[in-house]
Amino acid sequence: MTLLRPTDPRFTGHLVRPRLRIVAGVCAGFARHSGLPVTFVRTVTFVLALCGGAGVLLYGWLWATTPDEAADGAAGSDPRGDRLPKAALTGSSGAPSDTRTRPGDPAAGTTGGTAAGTAAGSGGAIEATADARDGEPRRAPVTEILLGLALVGTAGALIANRLGADLPVDAIIPAIVALAGTGLAWRQFAELRSGAGPQSSGMLVRALGALVLVALGILLFFVTSENPNVWTVVVAALSVLVGVAVVVAPWAVRLTRDLSDERAAREREAGRAEMAAHLHDSVLQTLALIQQKAGPHSDAARLARAQERDLRDWLFTGATNGPVDLAAELRGIATTVERDYAVHVDVVAVGSVDREVPDALLAAAREAILNAARHAGGSVSVYVESSPTTIEVSVTDRGPGFVIGDIPADRMGVRESILARMQRAGGTASVRPGPGGTGTEIRLSLPLDIQEDTP
Amino acid sequence: MTDPMTDPTTGTDAPCDLTVVIVDDHSIFRSGLRSELDPALRVLGEAATVDEAIAVVVATQPRVVLLDVHLPGGTGGGGAEVIRTAAPLAPSTLFLALSVSDAADDVVTVIRAGARGYITKSASGAEVSDAARRVAGGDAVFSPRLAGFVLDAFGAVAGETAATTDELDRLSAREQEVMRLIARGYAYKEVASALFISPKTVETHVSAVLRKLQLSSRHELTAWATARKLL
Repeated sequence: MTLLRPTDPRFTGHLVRPRLRIVAGVCAGFARHSGLPVTFVRTVTFVLALCGGAGVLLYGWLWATTPDEAADGAAGSDPRGDRLPKAALTGSSGAPSDTRTRPGDPAAGTTGGTAAGTAAGSGGAIEATADARDGEPRRAPVTEILLGLALVGTAGALIANRLGADLPVDAIIPAIVALAGTGLAWRQFAELRSGAGPQSSGMLVRALGALVLVALGILLFFVTSENPNVWTVVVAALSVLVGVAVVVAPWAVRLTRDLSDERAAREREAGRAEMAAHLHDSVLQTLALIQQKAGPHSDAARLARAQERDLRDWLFTGATNGPVDLAAELRGIATTVERDYAVHVDVVAVGSVDREVPDALLAAAREAILNAARHAGGSVSVYVESSPTTIEVSVTDRGPGFVIGDIPADRMGVRESILARMQRAGGTASVRPGPGGTGTEIRLSLPLDIQEDTP
Repeated sequence: MTDPMTDPTTGTDAPCDLTVVIVDDHSIFRSGLRSELDPALRVLGEAATVDEAIAVVVATQPRVVLLDVHLPGGTGGGGAEVIRTAAPLAPSTLFLALSVSDAADDVVTVIRAGARGYITKSASGAEVSDAARRVAGGDAVFSPRLAGFVLDAFGAVAGETAATTDELDRLSAREQEVMRLIARGYAYKEVASALFISPKTVETHVSAVLRKLQLSSRHELTAWATARKLL
């Protein structure tokens, strides 16, 4: 039953409703927030629910005003989060919220109590049934279940009345009408909020209809009471207003929170774009200048280049939609090699690969780049061409160069880790003199099996 | 690192006459580049915005303008706007684009506007000087990255080859070979010796590619250009 321990690393300063929930996650969220055991919180809520429905009202209020955990990241700056625990503490006495939501005559107070009692009972039932599917993040269809129970309750009350039991039908039926209206209204509001765009006008009509139902239910209390006078009318009017306000309030609260979340997200995005523009203008230019002043192969230029590459990756990730994986992998290799050796590795990629590149090719390319960095230094060019039939990687340096025939013993690495590796992968590798007869060019070529992507 | 062009190609071979204007919105970069440039290049002026750049270029009529791609001012068109406005008023001026980025749309922007070359700002002063000299000599300056982009944009990898030399939307087999070698980091002279042709021929090919890049209706290029309101 205890879903989340207070020592949970996800413990947050704000009261949120976790994804792992039984009814609406209020108890679990409050337990996590306050550090009390969940079972204890649930028991207290249940007991409070029996005390004139205070627990149910409190639960409903917290449910309406507490954000979902999913929205927590966005709602981090929400000032409401700090205020909620206090509301919870003052509300736990039960009385204040009770009088506030149910003003007026004592009859309403008792019916509120009984209706809340049945609702609490149904809540307990849901808790029990949902417990079987322990931890399933899907929400139980609370509204439907409550509506069903309300109808069953009405039927039961009517039957009991027929059988001669002395039930205050005058009070129960209006209460059920009001509750059904509330449930329907909340459901419509939830759909409105989730933004089912095109039919939203129809939904608005339905939501208004549900509100009328609520008003009707509240009015019924007074219409069915005996000897009406002026005060009854005044109280009835006020009750309708307050009742509708109570139904609409959670929706309005959520809507404003959605809006503020959205605004915060937009501000963050704008801030990020501005920072990217600023960095592009200032820092990247400075890094370029450092590289230019420090000479192409100095340590300072190397550091500046590595930083520039990192920053560029960070700023424009996702903006480039050119060649995928292979080029990115090779650039990653280039960055790490540049960090370790005094070289300048330039990666140029042509074409794109839309499938997994064999590790062997990457490993051989890495070895070739490392080899060039170790023995040649200076600037190393890496060129990748990916056609539908072949992937070709060439690594060119301008070092002393060597011929495969007279590789000295200490360069067995080339033979084993580049040539043999490519052969095992079904490709070829060749070592030849680099541009203008200076340096070395290592060419790796890997034919792609066309059959591979036809199935 | 790269070779200065040999005599038969540079033709004029009078570097003292090479006048340049530096256009960049960062004064640090301008002064840095100015001090790094080959002493044979005479800097006639500097500019920081589009409007300043147009005024300076028209007034001084330099041979080469070292032009930042991203510039404030004007109608927001940056370096491309400078080229489009100033080029008709300074007929003998050539433009070499400098940029911190290697992004394809930056390349297309300035090349479409008429720049004769494109290099990144991290190039050393000697490299910039060399590129400026080559542009002044009538050559196009292609960085390896630009060559790679050209191969991509013209579908060379997919095996598209132009049958005739007039075909603007494809590269000829020879042009593809040249571009491939440049993309591999070969200097023009090294391309020439690898293909057993003269450096002059390499430049002819590169200029032809540049012309295709500017004129072709190749849909990749056109898409980029129209999406950014360059056409």
